[in-house]
Amino acid sequence: MSTTMAETILITGADGYIGSLISTWLLEHTDARLMLWVRADHDAELEAKRAHLHQQHAAHGERIQVCYGNLQNEAPLDSIDPEPIQRIIHVAAVTEFNVTRERADAVNRDGTRKVLAFARRCPHLQRFCYVSTTYVAGLAQGGIAEQPMPADGPFANHYERSKCEAENILLHEFDDLPWHIYRPSTVMAHDAAGTVMQYNVFHNTMRLLFYGLISTMPGLADTPIYMVTGKFVGNAIAELSVKPIAQRQIFHVCHTETESLALGQMLAVCFREFGTDAGFRKRRILPPLLTEFEMFEMLANELKGLSAQVVSQAVESIRPFAQQLFIHKAFHNDNLRAALDHYQAPDPTALLAATVQTLIHTKWGREP
Amino acid sequence: MADIFLNFPAFCLGSQQRTVADAAADGDLLSTADALTAAGFNQHCHCDAHETAYDLAKGALDDMLTSYPETRQRLPDIDVILYVTCLPLNGNHGNVDEFAVSRDVKHLMDFPASRLQADFDMDRAFVMGLNQQACTGMLGSIRVAAALLRSEPDLQQALCITADRFPPGAVYEQAYNLISDGGAACIVSTTPGGYRLLGAHHITNGAMATASDEETAGFYFNYSHRLITELCANAGITPAEVNWIVPQNTNRKAWRILASVLRFDFERILMPTIGSVGHCISGDNIINLKTVAGADQIKVGDTLLMPMAGFGLNWSCLLLEKVAD
Repeated sequence: MSTTMAETILITGADGYIGSLISTWLLEHTDARLMLWVRADHDAELEAKRAHLHQQHAAHGERIQVCYGNLQNEAPLDSIDPEPIQRIIHVAAVTEFNVTRERADAVNRDGTRKVLAFARRCPHLQRFCYVSTTYVAGLAQGGIAEQPMPADGPFANHYERSKCEAENILLHEFDDLPWHIYRPSTVMAHDAAGTVMQYNVFHNTMRLLFYGLISTMPGLADTPIYMVTGKFVGNAIAELSVKPIAQRQIFHVCHTETESLALGQMLAVCFREFGTDAGFRKRRILPPLLTEFEMFEMLANELKGLSAQVVSQAVESIRPFAQQLFIHKAFHNDNLRAALDHYQAPDPTALLAATVQTLIHTKWGREP
Repeated sequence: MADIFLNFPAFCLGSQQRTVADAAADGDLLSTADALTAAGFNQHCHCDAHETAYDLAKGALDDMLTSYPETRQRLPDIDVILYVTCLPLNGNHGNVDEFAVSRDVKHLMDFPASRLQADFDMDRAFVMGLNQQACTGMLGSIRVAAALLRSEPDLQQALCITADRFPPGAVYEQAYNLISDGGAACIVSTTPGGYRLLGAHHITNGAMATASDEETAGFYFNYSHRLITELCANAGITPAEVNWIVPQNTNRKAWRILASVLRFDFERILMPTIGSVGHCISGDNIINLKTVAGADQIKVGDTLLMPMAGFGLNWSCLLLEKVAD
């Protein structure tokens, strides 16, 4: 796919997992020049990231330019000339569910406003792509259309809230921009083979279950859990960002409920795969009991003062999204299906099984 | 199959009392005092330097004789003494230092069960020592006693007794529970009275024999849930149909969570001694049973579960029915 006259695309968070995937796709499928913006507070940090990015994209070294800043600073993009930029893909964000209010506000909300303000100064801007999250739906239940979500939630954590507020800033304060919003869900694996390149709360929870460190989990067995591969997310966002399709669209970069597993199904698959490990079988670890949210909160609170630091940290990592495990959402992805050339959902059971096998065999990334 | 009854629960605690805060200040806890207090623990009892585990066993039996004078007539007719220790070292009353000098292993085989038989004139009784079940030992001994009484008609009553003290210098916290030194006893017999034994269940996961406290806690909920639901299923009932749970003294909030997943009202979980006693190693169920029985809380016909979890890893539970005395 060629962009018109070798466009310049600015990608924030370009050294992150999703940012890297988007960059790679664009370098391989377009002739665009990429301005890869990374978070760095000083030259040494920048140089390290610059070297890494040039190594990562060595085959396209002449088409990338690395720039830097910090979204928490007043003018994080001021070192960039807005003149040549035709597309902006704003990926940079704090994605931890347990992010503090202050950091979420500073980076995800206020940082996005700064990037939007910069976008308005780009005279040739053709598209502003905001990489959001399906979690902007917060604690809403039922069908979730590819439509704006109310900024007042309710939400399970500050990550969700700050991302939703950022969307609403785009929609209400910068609606004059030619925008797209992409809402990916949680990345389970890099690809359909179950390769894992980035570890998040999903993998951490699997680790706790495998080692028998938690015997209760919050949630309802029939709550659908929306998981995607990193490749699916990166490829979809990159493709949509340069595709000549209508502006002002929201895309759920996830699969539908019928293409996803419910929590109980996921646990069944996980424990089936865990059972292929002789050490796990020997330890006779039972599947967790699904508890009410209040009971899980009580457990989390109770563990804080006890000497159970590993379990306490583990439970704390689950805590910020625990409420989501009780909420039945049905994400629609009609816009995504219509826009992508080749939408395809993987077999969720096979993907989960392959991912769990990867986790077991690499000991959660500690071994190659 | 003959009915078996558990009766005359009795206990004895270490003579020294100490608050959670004092235990923490003395460096004998792993968690903070505040956390253990929030879990329901207020104080614990520990032995002084000269008190032995055997002293606690004698104390428990003295408590039985005092609390239930009729047991004075029954004790001489005890057929078997099942003497349980959680810590194997408490199964020897001998002086290990003397072994070091003499190299004679008899100093390692001065069995408290034999002493108890002699000291309390239970001349008819033969003795069996049980260990390696950690905190579930007392419940295990009751199960063994029931099996003996059912399989050997000449045997009609067994004394089940457990006694442990932690060695000097030990931390008095295990798996996030405040520990008390103590002993507990009951009589298991074919004579109606006390509580009818409706069922017993025990699960051992030997692969977790050296589990850390974190792993022990990690296994706690689902194995306890499995233990209780399987025991109830064997009895043809659901946990919710049981009237009471008389558990070990472990974190109150852990029991609230477990009650939730068992669909069991937390208000029907009776552990009145958690604050004053803490987790008394293998005797909690008996200590709580005696305490609630004294308060007349359990009525004739009521059913109760007595679950316990311990290292090994072991989970054990009895299902009982209160009968008319």
